[in-house]
Amino acid sequence: MMGETVKIRVDDRELEVQRGTLLIEACRAAGIEVPSFCYYPGLSLQAACRMCLVEIEKAPKLQTACTVPVTEGMIVRSNTEQVTQARRSMLEFLLGNHPLDCPVCDKGGECELQDMVFRYGASESRYGEAKRHVEEQQWSPVVYFDAPRCILCYRCVRVCDEGMGVGALSVVNRGVHTEIAPNHGDHLECEECGMCIDICPVGALTSGAYRYKARPWEMQYTSTICTHCGDGCKTTLSVRNNKILRGNNRDRSGINGEFLCIKGRYAYDFVEHPSRLRQPLIRRGRELVETTWEEAIGTVAAKWSEILARRNKAANNTLAETSEKRSEGFGVIGSNHTTNEENYLLQKFARTVLQTNHVDHHRTADYAALIHALANESAEQPSQAQRPPLARSKDIVGASAILLVGNNPTEQHPLIAWNIREACRLNGARLYIIHSRRIPLLRQSHRFLPLGLGHEADALRHLCGEPEATQALLGETPSGDNVTADLLNDFRNRLQEEKDVIVVFGDEITGPDVSLLIRMGSRLSGQTRYIALGDYSNSRGASDMGLLPHLLPGYRPVGDAAARAFFEDRWKSPIPATVGLSVDDMVAATLQGGMDALYVVGANPLKGRNPEDFCGKTFLVVQDLFLQETAQAADVVLPAASAYEKSGTVTNTCGELQRLRKAVGVLGTRTDLQIFASLAAAMGATLHPSQPEEALEEIRQMVPEYNIPLANVLAGGAEAVLNPNGFKPLAAPAETSGRVYSAQDTLFTSGTLGRFSNILNLVPERNIRKEPGPA
Amino acid sequence: MPVSEHEVRVLTKRFDLPNSASIDTYLAHDGYQAFEKALKQMTPESILEELKRSNLRGRGGAGFPTGMKWGFVPKESPKPKYIVCNADESEPGTCKDRLLMEKDPHQLIEGILIAGVVVGSHQGYIYVRGEYRYLLEILDRALEEAYARGYLGKNILGTGFDFELATHTGAGAYECGEESALLESLEGKRGIPRIRPPFPAVVGLYGGPTVLNNVETFSAVPAILREGGEWYAQLGTPRNGGTRLFVLSGHVNRPGVYELPMGFPLRKMIEEVGGGILGGKKFKAVIPGGSSTPVLTADALDTPMDFDSVAKAGSMLGSGAVIVMHEDTCMVKVALRLMQFYAHESCGWCIPCREGTDWLSKTLHRFHSGGAREEDIGLIEHLAKNMLGRTFCPLGDAAAMPVISFVKKFREEFEMHLSGRPCPFESKQEPATVSR
Amino acid sequence: MASILGGIVETVAALASGFKVTFRQMFRPTVTENYPDEAPNFQNRFRGLHVLQRDEAGLEKCVACFLCSAACPSNCIYIEAADNTAEQQISAGERYASVYNIDYNRCIFCGYCVEACPTDAITHGHEFELASYNVTDLIYRKERLLAQKTTTDQTAAGDPALSMPSGRNQSAS
Repeated sequence: MMGETVKIRVDDRELEVQRGTLLIEACRAAGIEVPSFCYYPGLSLQAACRMCLVEIEKAPKLQTACTVPVTEGMIVRSNTEQVTQARRSMLEFLLGNHPLDCPVCDKGGECELQDMVFRYGASESRYGEAKRHVEEQQWSPVVYFDAPRCILCYRCVRVCDEGMGVGALSVVNRGVHTEIAPNHGDHLECEECGMCIDICPVGALTSGAYRYKARPWEMQYTSTICTHCGDGCKTTLSVRNNKILRGNNRDRSGINGEFLCIKGRYAYDFVEHPSRLRQPLIRRGRELVETTWEEAIGTVAAKWSEILARRNKAANNTLAETSEKRSEGFGVIGSNHTTNEENYLLQKFARTVLQTNHVDHHRTADYAALIHALANESAEQPSQAQRPPLARSKDIVGASAILLVGNNPTEQHPLIAWNIREACRLNGARLYIIHSRRIPLLRQSHRFLPLGLGHEADALRHLCGEPEATQALLGETPSGDNVTADLLNDFRNRLQEEKDVIVVFGDEITGPDVSLLIRMGSRLSGQTRYIALGDYSNSRGASDMGLLPHLLPGYRPVGDAAARAFFEDRWKSPIPATVGLSVDDMVAATLQGGMDALYVVGANPLKGRNPEDFCGKTFLVVQDLFLQETAQAADVVLPAASAYEKSGTVTNTCGELQRLRKAVGVLGTRTDLQIFASLAAAMGATLHPSQPEEALEEIRQMVPEYNIPLANVLAGGAEAVLNPNGFKPLAAPAETSGRVYSAQDTLFTSGTLGRFSNILNLVPERNIRKEPGPA
Repeated sequence: MPVSEHEVRVLTKRFDLPNSASIDTYLAHDGYQAFEKALKQMTPESILEELKRSNLRGRGGAGFPTGMKWGFVPKESPKPKYIVCNADESEPGTCKDRLLMEKDPHQLIEGILIAGVVVGSHQGYIYVRGEYRYLLEILDRALEEAYARGYLGKNILGTGFDFELATHTGAGAYECGEESALLESLEGKRGIPRIRPPFPAVVGLYGGPTVLNNVETFSAVPAILREGGEWYAQLGTPRNGGTRLFVLSGHVNRPGVYELPMGFPLRKMIEEVGGGILGGKKFKAVIPGGSSTPVLTADALDTPMDFDSVAKAGSMLGSGAVIVMHEDTCMVKVALRLMQFYAHESCGWCIPCREGTDWLSKTLHRFHSGGAREEDIGLIEHLAKNMLGRTFCPLGDAAAMPVISFVKKFREEFEMHLSGRPCPFESKQEPATVSR
Repeated sequence: MASILGGIVETVAALASGFKVTFRQMFRPTVTENYPDEAPNFQNRFRGLHVLQRDEAGLEKCVACFLCSAACPSNCIYIEAADNTAEQQISAGERYASVYNIDYNRCIFCGYCVEACPTDAITHGHEFELASYNVTDLIYRKERLLAQKTTTDQTAAGDPALSMPSGRNQSAS
C-alpha cells in the first residue's frame, strides 16, 4: 500500500512521508516531538486538547498537527517561541482546575500530565481562584472516577465506543462542568475490561484492584501471557513483595497491543486465593490430610511402580490368566493451562514410563481435524499461495473479509473480537456471520446468516452449492429471523466475491465438518485462511504437544509405525501402538473400576459429578491449584504452580508461540515440570529433560513445526508455529475419538480459575449480563 | 415595534400588515413569486449569478458571500443534499431572526426553497433555538400552509421539484449556533463542533453536502430574485449589498430592530434612529456586532456599519447587534457579564475555551468585587490572548476578543478597581444584576 | 631582693598571662553539657530520629505517596499504602500508610525524605539514642515513629522535642 510520497519541511528538516499522513504522525516518526493528550493512534480525531499546535507556513494561526494531513511543500515549525508558549499556556489552563493531589493520586509517577508539565513548563501556577471540586465516584468494583482530575481528552469514551464496541461512557454537562459519565446513571454496565483506566493519561479513572497499593517505581514488571482464554494476550504483571498488584500492557508490546479484557487485567488474583493448595494431600481413610512432598511423591511412585510391575507380569502371562477382568492400566488427563514443555513431558511420561496411550485433555477446538484437512487439501491442490493457511490473530486486522462461523468472540475470545472490530472500523473489512444467536458482533457485520442450533454444517454445504442444504436452512430461526432464499443466495454471492477471507470458527465445526469448511474456503476467489477458536491459554499447545489418545506430538498418528519409530528412537523406549481412550472414556472406565490408575494434571474431568462416586474406584492422583471435584476424589493431591508462577512457552489458539515468565512464587507449590521429574525419579525412571529451556529444545527437535526462530519469542514477542504450508500429508486420516466441546465461558468466567478469582465474581455483570437472545 | 424614517424596508416590509405571518397576506404581497420565477424561468447558474451580483453576505456573523457559499456545493453527490437554516439565534444582543420568523415565516420558507432549487436539494431543516420554542407554533403553521398550497411537498407547482421542510429545536446551547455543532445537534448528537475541513458544503448533515445559512440570509433571497441583484446591491455600499436588520439595544432612548442599509453611519444610528443616549448622559462605548465583537469607543462613531468598515475600525459587524453603553457603565462589569455568558455556554470540548472562560470569569468576578491585585490586569489580558486563535471553534475567540478590547481600551477602569474596594461605578447605578 | 621581687612579679605575670584564658572562661557560662547525666541541647535544625506528624485533628499527615522512599539515598524507608474508609479515617487524604518502616541500620539522616514530603508528615525529631544490641530493633515501625496524639496544639506549634516517638521508652529498655 505504498502510495505516493510528499516532501515536507519540519524545523528545517526535510521529511519524505506518504501523502495523507497526519502531520503529528509524520513528525513523531521522524523523532520530532509533538505532544498530545487527545490524539491517540487508531481512535477518531478530536483536536480537543490543543497540545499539538504547530506553526504552518501560510496559515494565519497555529494549527493542530493531529488533524492536518501533510501536503507537498508544507513548511512546519514546532519549536518556535509561539509554539512553546502555546503548549505552556494549554498546560496552565489544564492545571487551573486540576487538583494537585499527585501525592495521593494513583497515577503519580506515570502521569502524562505530570510529564508534560515537567517537559513544557507551567509549573508555577497563577491560578488564584477556587478549584472546582466533585466527589470521587465508584462506577464499578474495578472503576473509580475522580472528575476534577479529568482533562477531558475523551480517550476513554472513544476506546469504549470505537475499540470495545460497548459505548458505556459518554459526556455530560458543558463548559468547565463537563464530565465523563457512565451509561447507567451512577454506575457502569459494561465488559469491565478496564481499557478506559489504562488509556487515561491522568488519574481520573483508576483501577479498583490497584487502588492506592503502590507506586509505579516501586514495582517489578514481568511481562507474561494471560492464562485465561485462548487468545494469548501479553499482560505485564506489576509485582511488589511477591504479590501481583496489577496487570496491563501499557507498552503495547505483544500481539494484543494495549488490549486486555477483564481477565487479563484483573483476574490474576486466583494466585493468592485462600483456598489455593499449598501442601500435598494424601487420603487416610475417608479424609484427605496434609502431608509432605516426600511422602506424597513416594506414595504415588510406589503405587504406580507396583501397578506397572503387575501389568508387565500380566502381559508376559497373557495366555495364563485371560479370565481376569481386563483393565486399562494408566490413564492420564492433561491440562489446557500448562506450558508446552509440561504438556510434552506429560505425554512422554505417559507413553514411555507409564506405557499408555490413554492420554487426553479437554478438547475445545478440533485443531487436529483442521491440521489434517489443510494437509490433505494442500496435497490435492498444491497452492501457489505465499501465505500460511493458518492466520495469526493480527492478520484479522488486515483482512478484507472475515467469516465467523459460530462462537461468540466478544465473550469467549475478546482479543479476536477486538481485532475484528478494528478490521471493520479502520480498514473497512466486511464481516460475514453465520450464527444461531444474535451475537454482539452483529453490530459490525456486513452480512448475517441466521440459522437454527446445530445447522452450521448445512450453511457450509449451502455455501458449497448443495441445494438440499439450502432447503434445510429456510424458514424462521429460533432467534426470530426469517431466512429466505434471497438472503442465502446473497450471502453466498457476496462471500464468493471476496478475495482475502479469514474464516474464524468455534466448536460448532468439528470432525468431518472441518473438511467441509476447508472445501468451502477453497471455493472462494482468493486465498482463504483459518482460525479455530479453542477455549484456554494453551488449548492449542496441548493438541500440538500430543496430549491426545490418537496423536503423538506434531499430530503424528500413534498408529503410524514410522512416526512411532521416530519417537521411540529418540525417547529410547517403546510406545504403545493402539489408540488410547478419550477423557470421557477414561472417566466412564474409572466408574466401572476399569482403570488401575488415573493421573489428572490441571484438569477437572469430574466437574459437575459427585466425587464420592469415584472414591476408591481407582488410584487417583490429582495435580492442581485448587481442591476441585476431581481432587476431592483423589488419593493423592499435589499442589501445582500456576502459569504466573513459572516459565515456559504457550501456544495461543492462532498458533502463536509466546513465552511465560515467572512473576511470583507461592510457597509449598511446585511446577508441573518439577513434579513430573520427581515422580519419574522416584519410580527409578529417567524423564529427561527437567528444565523448560531444555524441554523446548527437545520439542523443537521432535516437532519440526516448532523449530522456528526463537529470538523474537525470547524477547517477549510471538512467532507462528505449525505452518501446514508444505506440511506432508499423513498416511492415516485423523481418527475422531472423543468429544470436542467448548466450556462456553463468558467474559466473567474462566473454568476453574474463574471460580477462584474474586474480581471476576465481584462484577455485577457476571450475573445480570444476558446473551443477546431472540429479538 | 419602533420604526424610523431612516429605515429601508425590504425584509421587514410586510411586518406591519395585519396577519403578516399567514400565507394569504404573503401571497397578496409578492409571496412565492421569486420562487416560482427561480423554478420556472431561471437556472441554478443564473440564480447564483444574481446572488453574486447582489453582494449578499451571510448575516450570521462571519459575512461570507452567500452566492459563493452555495456555489461550493458539488453538483453530483452520492449522498442527499440538505438545506439547513440556522435559526439558533443566541448571540447576546441579537433578536432579529426571531422577528423574521414571527412576522414573516413564509419569506424564510421561500428563501430556503430557492436554495433547494439552486443546489438540487430536496430536504430542508429549520434549526430553531431552544429558547425560541414558542416560534415553532408559527413556523409549523406556516409550513402546513405551504404544504397545503403546494409550495412544499412532492411535485411543487407541477414542475416535478420535490422539497420537504421540517423544524427542529435545540436544547438551549449557544454552541449550537456554530454551523458544525448545529449539524451534530440536528443529527441527534451532543452539540460539539466538527473538525473542518471538510466544510458543510461538501460534507455536512448526515455526511451529505449541506447549505447552511442564517434566517436573515435566506429571507433576503426572495427580494433579490424578485427585484434583481443589482437593485439589492445598490441599497448598500460596494461589496456589502442590501439592507441589514440592526438590533439596537443598551442605553439608547428607542431600542429596537431597524432595517437599515448597509454602511449606515454608527453615530446616526445611535443618535437619530435610537433617539440618543438614555437620560441624556454621555456616550462611552458601543459593541457593534453582538457580544463577541470587540468594543468601540467614541473615536469610532463615524464608522459606516458594513463588514469592511467595522473591521477596519477594529471590530466586527457580526450579527448586527449594536449595544450602546453610557458613561456610568462599569466596563469591568460588562466584561464580567459577558465572560459569565461564555463560561456558561462553552461546550467544554477544548481546553483553552473550557478552562479559559472559567478562569477569566472567576478572575473578573474577583476583580469586580474588589479583590484585584495589580498583576491581574496582565493576567486577564494574557489568558484571553492564550485563548485567541487556539480554540477548536470560534467560541473561544468570541470570548477572548471582547475582553482583550476592554482591557486595551479601558485599562484605567480596571486600574480603578485595584483600590481593594468594590466597583467604583456601583454607587452610580441601580443594584447589581450580575449573577453567578 | 629586687631580683627576687622581680622574679615574683614575673612569675605572677607569667601565671596571669598563662591562666588568662582559664580565668576568663571561669566567669563565662558553661558550654559543656553533662551528657549523659543531663539531657543535651540541640539546635532546632538538628536531624534526629524521624517523627511522623499528625494534623490539628489528630489524623496522620502521611498519605503514603512514597516520595520519601523514592528520595531516600540509602533506600531505608518501606511503605505500604491503603484506603481510608468511612469507618476508619487514618489520614486526611484518601490514602494512608498502613505500614511505614524506617531501617535505622541504613538511615544516614540526610533529611532528603523531609524535604521530599509534600504534606510535611515526616520530620526530624531530636531523639538520637538508638544504639541497640539487636539489628532488628533498628527497624522502626510506624507505631514507634508516629507523634503522640496531643490534646493541645503542641505538635502543631512546631517544637520537635515535644513530639517524641511514643514507643521510645520500650525500645530503650
